[in-house]
Parts: sequence; structure tokens; C-alpha cells
Amino acid sequence: MDVNERIHEELVKCGVRLAATLPDDWVAPLIRRLSADPSIRHVPVAREAEAVAICSGAFFGGVRSVVVIGNTGLLTCTGELATLNLRHQIPVFCIVSQRGSIDDHRIYQEVQGRRTFPLLQTYDFPYHVFDRPEDLVHIPHAYEACRLQKRPFIAFLTRHLVKGEHS
Amino acid sequence: MKTREALEVLAAHRGDAAVVCALGMAANEWWAATKSEDSFYMHGAMGFAASFALGLALALPNTPVWVLNADGSLCMNLGCLLTEAAQAPRNLKHFVVDNRVYQTVGGMPMVNQGGADYAALAQAAGIPRTRTIENIADLERALPGIASQPGPSFTVLRVEAESGFLGTPPMTYEGPEMKYRFGRALERRLGITVFGPQGY
Repeated sequence: MDVNERIHEELVKCGVRLAATLPDDWVAPLIRRLSADPSIRHVPVAREAEAVAICSGAFFGGVRSVVVIGNTGLLTCTGELATLNLRHQIPVFCIVSQRGSIDDHRIYQEVQGRRTFPLLQTYDFPYHVFDRPEDLVHIPHAYEACRLQKRPFIAFLTRHLVKGEHS
Repeated sequence: MKTREALEVLAAHRGDAAVVCALGMAANEWWAATKSEDSFYMHGAMGFAASFALGLALALPNTPVWVLNADGSLCMNLGCLLTEAAQAPRNLKHFVVDNRVYQTVGGMPMVNQGGADYAALAQAAGIPRTRTIENIADLERALPGIASQPGPSFTVLRVEAESGFLGTPPMTYEGPEMKYRFGRALERRLGITVFGPQGY
């Protein structure tokens, strides 16, 4: 089974019915899959913090949701994640490409690679790195941890996971 | 017209709408006018009340959702108009309190003060029903139609800037308590489940 198909399947197990997304090239195939699922309301946004706020609003309508964005986009919305989601203890589950990793040889991702984890630790946002297809069965655990901890939870997808060994 | 007068008219026509308020003056005035717990008063994420309201409206397609935005907040996230237009929720009504200043900080002027037509921006973004209302009589006449017509709609409330700081106190609860009061109010009213059996 394709990695994005497995992630999609696990999100369905979580009860996700809304996906707010802004693509980078690593998560674009997953976004296409979610968009094609008629049971999931797909909300493409113009800025990542919109996705965070949309999923926060959906929470109060009793709808489970997911934000799908790139790492650079995550850094653009840490203020909203802190002042909306931390402040009001609103869970928001984010799937994010782990850009800037040692195998991501893009000069414009290098700061993200060095500073994202320390930044999340400073904010006390929990996160988990998904690196192998067999780990994806733990997505529902991560989703439940997000609900239980009542704050943003970042599920990172590695290049190895989404691009394969030899890309 | 004064902000408080305008919001009192909105409150009278609200019906069973769930309301999301941008942080600052509009939220404080809505609390003063309604004391309503089935309203969410943003305490952060300036600019994103409209996005929050969009998510709520999509999750509750049979419940009217109003967002009381402010000009300063709207301008922090004009892209929300594109997303709102693309999703086109029939139950979402977007109001913007436009006083051309950052009232909460004592009336500092808005960027491009008086030079922007927010209703035209919303129309250009693809929101079909937009209007600007400048006095209480027009607001009284227009609101029944705004409330009953399908959304998304976008209404600018042109209000007077106040001089200096407004003394209207904010709502008397905050943070997690606001989450639980709002969520529990929606659970009771709509029969939905927001929180699980253990309360989170």
C-alpha cells in the first residue's frame, strides 16, 4: 500500500472529516488523496494559520480535523498555535513535512531543519516523527494524544517516508 | 453610528446564531450587549476569527454562524475572504466593525485609513452578497434580510471611532474556561458532542 494511502486510512480511523491544507511538495500527494475522499471536507487555505483556526473552529462543531502543511508553513503559524490553541487548550492535529532534515539538501530549508524542534520544545508542543511505513499505525495514538493533551500536536513525515530510499 | 448601538441591533436579530468575535473592542462590546456564552471571544490569533468561524460553520452546516470581525483583524488575514468564498458556506455571515482605527490601543489609525473598500474587496474575492452600512436605520432595515438570505455574506458596519481607550470591560472568563463554556453551550443547544466522556 502506498504511504499516502496508509496515512489517509489512519486518518479515517481517527474519524477525521475535515482537512485544511496548504501544500509543500512532500505533502502534496497526501493532500490530493484527502481531497478526493468525499467523506472529508477539504479546505485549501491561503495561509497556514488559517488552517489552524479553521480546525479549531471545527473542533467546537464536534468535527475531527487535520491540518496538512509544510515545515516552513508551521513556522509561520506558531504565534496562532500559541495564542489560540495553547491559550484556550484547543487540540489541533497537524501533519507536517519534516523539511530541513539531513537528507533534504535544499538551502532554503536549512533553518527549519535546525530550529523547528527546539522551537516546538520551547512552546511545549508535542510532536512525533514518522519515518517508516510500519509506524503509521500509531497515527491514531498521536491523534488521541493531541486530544488528551489539549494542544497542538505535530506529526512529522520524513523525506525517507514520503519520498522513499532512493529519491 | 456607535459600535455598541450597531452590536445591540445585531444582538436583537441574532436568533440562534453561534457567534465568533475577533479579539478586542468588538468582543468586549458583544459581551456587554449579550452576556452570551454561546459566543466565542478570541483572545489571540488576531486576524483569524473569520477562519475559526468558517471551520465552525462547515462543521455545523445547519446552524447559523456569525463572525464579528474588525477592520484591523480583517486586514491581518485578507486571504480569509478567498477561503470563505471558495467554501461558500450558506450558514456563515461575516460582519466587519470598521472604525478605521485600532481602537483597543487608543485609536491609532488603520493602515490606509479610509482608503480601502472592504466590501469591494470581499466581492472581488468571490463573496456574492456584500454591503456597507453606515447608520442604525439602514442596519435595522437590512438585518432581517442578511439573517435570512443564504451566505456567505459580508457586511461592513461603518462606525464612529471613539476617542482614546474604551472602558468596556471584557468578558469575565478566559482561556480554557472559555473553551468549555462555549463548547458546553453548543452541546446543550445543538445536541452535539464536542468533548469526550472524560471531558477532553
